[in-house]
Amino acid sequence: MTHVTTPAPAGMSSRRARFWTNNKSTLIGCGVLVALMIVVPFTANSSVMNIVVFAMIFALPAIGLNLLMGLAGQVSLGQAAFFAIGAYTHAIMLTKLDLPGPVAATIGVLAAMLVALLVGLPLMRLRGHYLALATLGLGFIVMIGVREWDVTGRTTGIYGISRPSVFGIPIDNSGFFLWFVTPFVVIGLILALNLTRSRAGRALSAVNDSELAAESLGVNTYALRLKVFVLSAGFAGLGGVFYAYQVAIVSPTTAEFHLSVSILLMVVIGGLGSVWGAVAGAFLVQFLGEGMRDVIPAIFPGASGEVQLLGYGIVLILVILLLPGGLHQAATTLWRKLPLAGKRPPGDAHAHSAAEDTTIPQLPAVSTPVAAGEPILVISGLTKRYGGVVAVDDVSLTVPAGSILGLIGPNGAGKTTCFNMISGALTPSKGTVTFLGQVISGRKPHVAAAHGLTRTFQNLQVFTSTDVVGNVYMGRYRKGRAGVLRGMLGLQSGEQSAHHAAAYEILQSMRLTDAADDSASDLSFGKQRIMEVCRALAAEPALLLLDEPMAGLSSTEREVMAELLRRLRAAGLTIVLVEHDVAQVMSLADQVAVLDDGVLIAHGDPDSVRNDPAVVVAYLGTDLDEAEAELTELEEHA
Amino acid sequence: MLTDFLQLTVAGLSQGSVYALLAVGLIAVYTVRHVINIAQGEFAMLAGLGSAWLTASGMPLLLAVLVAILTVTVVAVAMERVIIARVKKLTPLLSIILTLGVSTLLQAIMLLVWGPEAKGVPLFPGTNVLIGGVSIRSQEFWMLGALVVVGGGIVLFYEKSRWGKALRACAEQPVAARIVGISPIAASVLAFAIAGFVGGVAGVVASPIYLSLWSGGVLLGLKGFVAAVLGGFVSFRAAIVGALLLGMIEAYVAGYVSSGLRDGAAFLILILVLVVRPQGLVLKPTAVRV
Repeated sequence: MTHVTTPAPAGMSSRRARFWTNNKSTLIGCGVLVALMIVVPFTANSSVMNIVVFAMIFALPAIGLNLLMGLAGQVSLGQAAFFAIGAYTHAIMLTKLDLPGPVAATIGVLAAMLVALLVGLPLMRLRGHYLALATLGLGFIVMIGVREWDVTGRTTGIYGISRPSVFGIPIDNSGFFLWFVTPFVVIGLILALNLTRSRAGRALSAVNDSELAAESLGVNTYALRLKVFVLSAGFAGLGGVFYAYQVAIVSPTTAEFHLSVSILLMVVIGGLGSVWGAVAGAFLVQFLGEGMRDVIPAIFPGASGEVQLLGYGIVLILVILLLPGGLHQAATTLWRKLPLAGKRPPGDAHAHSAAEDTTIPQLPAVSTPVAAGEPILVISGLTKRYGGVVAVDDVSLTVPAGSILGLIGPNGAGKTTCFNMISGALTPSKGTVTFLGQVISGRKPHVAAAHGLTRTFQNLQVFTSTDVVGNVYMGRYRKGRAGVLRGMLGLQSGEQSAHHAAAYEILQSMRLTDAADDSASDLSFGKQRIMEVCRALAAEPALLLLDEPMAGLSSTEREVMAELLRRLRAAGLTIVLVEHDVAQVMSLADQVAVLDDGVLIAHGDPDSVRNDPAVVVAYLGTDLDEAEAELTELEEHA
Repeated sequence: MLTDFLQLTVAGLSQGSVYALLAVGLIAVYTVRHVINIAQGEFAMLAGLGSAWLTASGMPLLLAVLVAILTVTVVAVAMERVIIARVKKLTPLLSIILTLGVSTLLQAIMLLVWGPEAKGVPLFPGTNVLIGGVSIRSQEFWMLGALVVVGGGIVLFYEKSRWGKALRACAEQPVAARIVGISPIAASVLAFAIAGFVGGVAGVVASPIYLSLWSGGVLLGLKGFVAAVLGGFVSFRAAIVGALLLGMIEAYVAGYVSSGLRDGAAFLILILVLVVRPQGLVLKPTAVRV
């Protein structure tokens, strides 16, 4: 048995070594950043100092926005609103209520997060442009609000914010302030980096590749996106807190739209989804803005005001047109060209060649919540109408646990529509789907997945931004527990490596380990299909829905697949498959259901269905001679 | 009491007609390209500031207005050709960033060329009217008239003319439209030309009363967006009605509550509508086949 050895839960020394290899780049990066921030106050003149301090302050909202855009795939054009809420709340707590600094700051951050929660609860359900424009509107509301409210000091704002002091040392110059803000930026950076690599972060990046596939694996997109939105507002609020300290005046300009634009620019320059990019972007935009304020009046005499916007607009457009990945893309391209980068180490411990896999691979684990033969899936009266067209008409079926049901029918018979209603991708017009005693129809796919129902797709839904093992790893999502908070604190590496090992084992059962580290989009069509089956199996399902699993596979691959399905059934897994290869279905399935024009015309064991005249006519038209010929051919196959 | 109310209603309707024109431009672009054009409001400001500058340097009002509107139309088409058309896979995220970039660039150019002060085009010819104590300024007739003529013209164009039907076909069935020979490039250019044209018209008719400011376009464009959302982002007629309602609500808030809160009304409405009836506002979901 070729068995992948999981890294043993070792003692302190190897755990420390693993920590180092996992976090090498983060640690080096943070080390360099901290070293720079220590040195800068001794070398830089006051104007550069000023730029650096503001770059560090704005790095916080930029990191937050980067998480929102990179992970949740949503744009906020109101990041300045949350920045302003943090700044104002902090200032009010300090000046009006005389609260101690840390308490005031915490309340400031929480206030920004609370507003984001209230706005996000309804709005994160919407797709596309709505969040962007609603947050843009929120920015104006906040600005109008602070301008009209006595507590926020109307147009003059709030002033007289005293400098903080740490261990009795007053933070009263830019150098001290830089040292004061740097630890918070570094901690924020590490939390954000951890989050992007965590279970939640990977799930969100899968959602950006294929929302449907991710939800079918148990990802609750809405809840995760909402959490990231609230978190990004928290980062903005923290930035606002420091801004209030540094400037000592909070005025309505902190909520200005142009500030939101500059924060967005920081993220775009740095590269969407790159946390380090957001920090680099913050520095670049601060220097760019300062430079433009010097250069423009020299070129256009008399120019005043927000002239740096000229640069912002041009850079925004050019980056998207010429370098859509931002600095992050530029840096990775450069790195690959450098000789010292070296090549990827050939063949790590996991890579096996397919040739040596002649032994019978280990069977992936399945869950068997009910005894074989008990009904696991009950479909009753399932109907889907599109306007006047009835795609699926009053279909009722019961699937016993531990069996394979083949769902066949001519093109357009409604097989995939049925699948989509069972898995939750479509809401039925009528009827219910009951899985393990729970009604799952009409709810989101992640609900069915949480109960142990996973599926594959006729039109492949591959997570293209990761490799093959990364795709299968996503299948483990249901088996993981770590949430956003644990992910940010980096407290899940044990869970992650266990799932990684499990993903390799499953790839092995379909002889796909040699492609494990390839990019998923580079695989052949057939291999992608096999990978999707592996991904669904990784969730240890109780019921597996396979939509044309054999399409595009070679005959050897079909045999491997069929053998795997038989063994899985023997292990207690229930399988429903839609398939065009009728011979394959007849030989595999315990029961066959035939759909024609949305109506269930036959249901029974393969033999009785094969000889059912209604099925023959549905499949082969009314030409009975031809039908008989095809029928004998089918029997020969079987 | 009643006169006050009617007076506010008149002000609201005239302001609403400006939002309606912007909503028409937003919908024209959205239906063809699925891009929400954040620079839509800048088109209006550009036309307002441009014609104010032309009239100030001696050009007759009518000519100045025409030149400004045509220039903005060209700017909109150039924006489509030079920037929007260059991105192959335009996701909502990218389209927002790109049009935001254009919006920022246009603002900066207006700031550099015409300075930070608000400017107004001279009042259009006409006489103010007093009906039962309610005074209607001639410029307000011009604003409402612009909506009736231009907005109505665009609606008729879409519903009656061959080109308009082709544009609608592009929006509803892009592949089928291409098969029957409707060029997606031409459709996209035409959509942006319409957006620039209506934006320009809105900008020049509003400028004499409401003035034009380099940074005023974002707020104005966003109100056009609110109107477009009220219209479900597909229906010109519903969006126009929504825009007029929005204008009136704003006028009542300014008149009866506080003029400072006037701009907040639009966004409260936006968020409320998105919360209460999101499913009715999301476009026909593009079905993903699985």
